[in-house]
Amino acid sequence: MSARRAASVAGLALLAAAWIFAITQLLHTSVPSGLRLPHLSAGDYFTPAVLHRARSFERFVRIDFLLSQLALIVALVGYALRGERLTRESAAGRVGTGLLLGMLGLAIVWLAQLPFGVAELWWERRHGISHQSYVSSVIDSFFGLGGAFLSICLVIAIVMGFAGWLRNRWWIPGVPAIVGVGVLVAFITPFLIPATHPLRDPELQADARQLEQVEGLPRVSMRVQDVHEFTTAPNAESVGLGPSRRVILWDTLLGFPRREVRVVIGHELGHLKHQHIWKGLGWEAVFLLPIAFAIALVTRRRGGLYSPRAVPLALLVFVVLELAVSPLQNSVSSRMEQEADWTALGATRDPAAATALFQRLSRTSLADPSPPGWWQALIGDHPTIMHRIELVQAWKDR
Amino acid sequence: MYDHPVLLTNEAGLERSRLTVFFRLLLGLPHIIWFSFWSVGVLFVAIFNWFATLFTGRPPLFCHNFLTAFIRYSAHLTAYLSLTTNPFPDFVGRPGSYPVDVHLPAEPQEQNRWKTGFRAILAIPAFMVDGALLGGARSGYSYSGGVLWTNAFLAWWACLFTGRMPEGLRDLNLYALRYGAQTGAYALLITDRYPDADPFVEPTPAAAPHHPVRLTTAEDDMRRSRLTVFFRLLLAIPHFVWLLLWSIAVDLCVIVGWFAALFTGQVPQWVHNFVSRFVRYYTHVSAFVVLAANPFPGFTGLPGSYPIDVEIDERALQNRWKTGFRIILAIPALAVSGGLGGAMFIAAFLGWFAALITGRMPRNLRQAQVLALRYGAQVYGYVLLLTDRYPFASPAPPASSTPIP
Repeated sequence: MSARRAASVAGLALLAAAWIFAITQLLHTSVPSGLRLPHLSAGDYFTPAVLHRARSFERFVRIDFLLSQLALIVALVGYALRGERLTRESAAGRVGTGLLLGMLGLAIVWLAQLPFGVAELWWERRHGISHQSYVSSVIDSFFGLGGAFLSICLVIAIVMGFAGWLRNRWWIPGVPAIVGVGVLVAFITPFLIPATHPLRDPELQADARQLEQVEGLPRVSMRVQDVHEFTTAPNAESVGLGPSRRVILWDTLLGFPRREVRVVIGHELGHLKHQHIWKGLGWEAVFLLPIAFAIALVTRRRGGLYSPRAVPLALLVFVVLELAVSPLQNSVSSRMEQEADWTALGATRDPAAATALFQRLSRTSLADPSPPGWWQALIGDHPTIMHRIELVQAWKDR
Repeated sequence: MYDHPVLLTNEAGLERSRLTVFFRLLLGLPHIIWFSFWSVGVLFVAIFNWFATLFTGRPPLFCHNFLTAFIRYSAHLTAYLSLTTNPFPDFVGRPGSYPVDVHLPAEPQEQNRWKTGFRAILAIPAFMVDGALLGGARSGYSYSGGVLWTNAFLAWWACLFTGRMPEGLRDLNLYALRYGAQTGAYALLITDRYPDADPFVEPTPAAAPHHPVRLTTAEDDMRRSRLTVFFRLLLAIPHFVWLLLWSIAVDLCVIVGWFAALFTGQVPQWVHNFVSRFVRYYTHVSAFVVLAANPFPGFTGLPGSYPIDVEIDERALQNRWKTGFRIILAIPALAVSGGLGGAMFIAAFLGWFAALITGRMPRNLRQAQVLALRYGAQVYGYVLLLTDRYPFASPAPPASSTPIP
């Protein structure tokens, strides 16, 4: 074995060790490790009518999703086979042509998925969850594509830039660079969310301040996003890093009883307390590393990502692998959500409100409280409603 | 040989009487009143003419004569008011009575009934281009003039001071007048030939004087990829971001270059090179966005890297007075560029639909865009201190450059 090869193997071994160490660190959670969730029946918490309506609603959503994924893969396979031809539409040199092919790949995906998005909107409108018009939905998603174009350009510029220097080893500096961009995006995201204003309700403000104290957090900005024109579904999120971090509550949530909104705030503050955004970025790096390595391997026959001709194939590989690892990603995400729920319970000490909140969430967003396992694995980035209610019960019984 | 049935000829020189220029709008008042009355008559005659042509396939002779006289008269009047010509016109639109004249078919022409039936709809794109070239648009309290009236406003000052109409503006007005006459003739059923937006045909002069900033165009079969056409604006977003960042650096360089040119008479070589790249890149991106060219441009503004390219002469000594007052001096050129830019984007809007349906960009719209791009590059070259030669607005092809295919 030559010295160079030995150094490569040692380097890879070191990388693998770092990767495994990172996973062990990221898996840490404040939810007690020996916690056993009781098995509860959805029928005890929801009326048969509510369960029937939620399941009937989600059945269509599942079929629509599966078809849209199928269309996505078919479109990307077609693009991987024939997209190379589009290099003639470019006078932009190696990297510029790569950017064009990346953007056109997203454009084709958008076109392929558009009918399914419209079908989902129709279904949501039919069930009173969405009020958005078809035209405005299509226009919004078209212009949203502009942001996606910028993101993919940034990623491809990084990848092809490194490929020009390191050829097939672009992924070694490429992944940290892309995660670095992710950090930047996470930092500026709060400033890009439209139609927000400070939380004005003095009682909720007081609740937020009290929960911050209990969770040991400095003062966090609480903002409300006006979404009632488009949807009746409630939601909340914690966004930003360091000085930009804040909690966003959808205005559709503010009609909930105060105790339940308090649980939501406790949950979002729990995300901030446990640095879930940073952890999410860490997980992104963990998943991206093998995916990038696989892309580098698969695209070698087309000249690797040094050549723009490999971009359509790289897109296909990326989407397929992302789909393949989505159960793992979802379980990681659910784990963090569970930790946030646990923290909220500890801070609010109001399990009755938490149970009532989850029941209400299921009713208002027509979420099946106990969906099939495959569906939960594929798209469930939160625990199921029944699992969340079971966690509340476990907290009470601890 | 240009074979459109509606032609514009020009025998007018560039000298203008300062007295009539100063009072031009007031002198035109009787004409404007007369034109308004005539327009009302035209409305009724045009409706009758439409029915008659729809049933017989040919306009009645009296309608034809009435409407051709009106088109000719409106061209005479517009040329007079916009200072494209000097003499006061007659009130009847007699053929050959005015230095800028419109040649229209002498006899009514056989016309396709389908095209006649849908003429009002078919004419909408032509009216849009016509609006950009001749008319203007009002939005709230702001008003943006079309090319012709913007030119007229600028020419009014030039004529008052120099007694001469700037040649470039005059030629540009002739192009706008030709298009206006062709649109009128099409809408009023004088001909079923669609108006031609190509500026590089008669009565355009054969060649323009040499300019240090020149546009070159490669042979273009006008084919456009429907996919990239549909997403064109979104695809250009990375370029917009890059342009924005680059323009910040350019602004700083130009400030340095301005001081250097003020003291030494020349901008530093590195400023010239950097700004030349920027002007070239800006033109590449603009050509891509407005569909004047098909391929996705590079990010470096490399010479010869794009089908629509800019040739820029080596740096030369510049007049210090012109350098010192460059921003003020550039205002008229920026105004003309704004008018042409409006026409360019109207052409892009129409071309977007055409290219999406047919897979091709209409050649005449693309040619109109080439004119706007050329003028835009010259304006940038002037403002950003690449040259002290003023932008030349005429559609005439430059003598020393590759002919526009």
